[in-house]
Amino acid sequence: MTAGAPITLSEDHRDCFQEITNVAIGQAADVLSRMLNVFIVLPVPNVNILEPSELTMALTAVDENDSVSAICQGFTGGGVAGEAMLIFNDANFSDIAKLAYDHQAYSDELEMEMIMDAGNLLIGACLNGLASQLEIQFSQGQPVVMGRHVHVPELIDTNKSRWTKTLAIEVNFTIENSPVACDMLLLFTEDSISVLKQKADYLLD
Amino acid sequence: MSIAPEDLKEFHWVMTMIQHIDVGLVVLNRNYEIQVWNGFMENHSIQTSFHTRGRSLFEVMPDIDEDWFRSKAESVFNLRNRAFTTWEQRPYLFKFKNSRPITGTADFMYQNSTIFPLESTSGEIEYISLLIYDVTDVAVNSLELNQANQRLEKLSQTDLLTGLNNRGYLDQSLEREFKRLKRTKEPASVVIFDIDHFKKVNDNYGHLVGDKVIQLVAKTLMDSQRETDVSGRFGGEEFVILLIGTPADSANFFAERLRKKIEKTVVETPEGDLTFTISLGIAEFDNDIRTSVQWLNRADQALYNSKESGRNKTTIYSK
Repeated sequence: MTAGAPITLSEDHRDCFQEITNVAIGQAADVLSRMLNVFIVLPVPNVNILEPSELTMALTAVDENDSVSAICQGFTGGGVAGEAMLIFNDANFSDIAKLAYDHQAYSDELEMEMIMDAGNLLIGACLNGLASQLEIQFSQGQPVVMGRHVHVPELIDTNKSRWTKTLAIEVNFTIENSPVACDMLLLFTEDSISVLKQKADYLLD
Repeated sequence: MSIAPEDLKEFHWVMTMIQHIDVGLVVLNRNYEIQVWNGFMENHSIQTSFHTRGRSLFEVMPDIDEDWFRSKAESVFNLRNRAFTTWEQRPYLFKFKNSRPITGTADFMYQNSTIFPLESTSGEIEYISLLIYDVTDVAVNSLELNQANQRLEKLSQTDLLTGLNNRGYLDQSLEREFKRLKRTKEPASVVIFDIDHFKKVNDNYGHLVGDKVIQLVAKTLMDSQRETDVSGRFGGEEFVILLIGTPADSANFFAERLRKKIEKTVVETPEGDLTFTISLGIAEFDNDIRTSVQWLNRADQALYNSKESGRNKTTIYSK
């Protein structure tokens, strides 16, 4: 990457990333609806290049708001690297518990269990979907529950200088006739963007 | 079909690597029967691969929570997803001893695990693989850090002489409750009191006796209050109690009982028995109070009136 060269997305690239994500989240939603026996409303993914400050703002909101939980998991493969992040509103947990864990009383342990299960399913299915279309295979790191393992502002401070720009794909999952919703962010590193563009060009041809 | 010696050699070193890698490696079939059990698993479970092969995982390791594990593994079989579990969710999947049995502080091995599908040549998922990571050091450090932070937080809120809450924590609590009361408008009262002629106690009996008097007052206060009340040492010989859900007349009842208890308290000193008294001021929450400081000031004014009119008494603030 030459210094100072602006990273932008052409409409074609944006559409292509959106379409690839659409297919992937379709698979993820299918997995989730089979697990919970509900209908998942399929969202239109939001594709953007984010500045560090914008991302910092989003992450700080997660940390400052006690009633929000997030899990993040790193992935890498074929020159594409990034992190997947799943953000829940805690008010949802009792509703999710009703849907998926009806035999268990609500507790902190169950909440952890729910975050991990949802992370395994949604992030896993999305990454599988992306990987198969891009013809790469991702290694996934151990997921980290934010705010429990780590304090978010510290995480951002230590990384500030390393961050440049990131390609962010945002997906908002909702369940029909239910207040349950969660946000998934797929964040790709700056040096992954050119690889992704190449892959997209190949698909567009 | 014959196998080339080169292939056999490669197979041999791959197997040696799997056997010796410091990560638990298990392969299970659809019936949860063990297909692979590497050296890490052999050594920590004290069950050989020869002995475990073909047997049900739940029979070999009866400590595993079968329902929990099945629910994770089934999703891997059916959805072809990788599943991850962390030590914070469950400290361990397999109950193994700490890998540092002498100097380690945890009794058992904290584990992270990954379950992933193994696709057969026909594309079916007939097997799953299980990786077990020893994360005891990370877990213990993280838990100890948490405990240390909790202790520090408690310490930063505590008055060391009496064990009561300190001024800083008291101010915060008062501010928080004040904001809540502004919304709920339920009754509440603040009581502030100090020990009468405390300077004379210090001068005549020494600071050690002075400290003992303060500690006795603190103890009497703690014994008198309800669990929901917030109290603390406000300064030298000054104390504050916040009585939730308590109008001024009930607060007065509480204050008078405390005053009489302390009046009867006797401190034995080398110079003979010492008795002492306290003066108290009460201010009830009123919606026209603008800040928590103003509320406390009203109680302080009432305390001043108690002092002015002879000490060893309680006064309720009135406008």
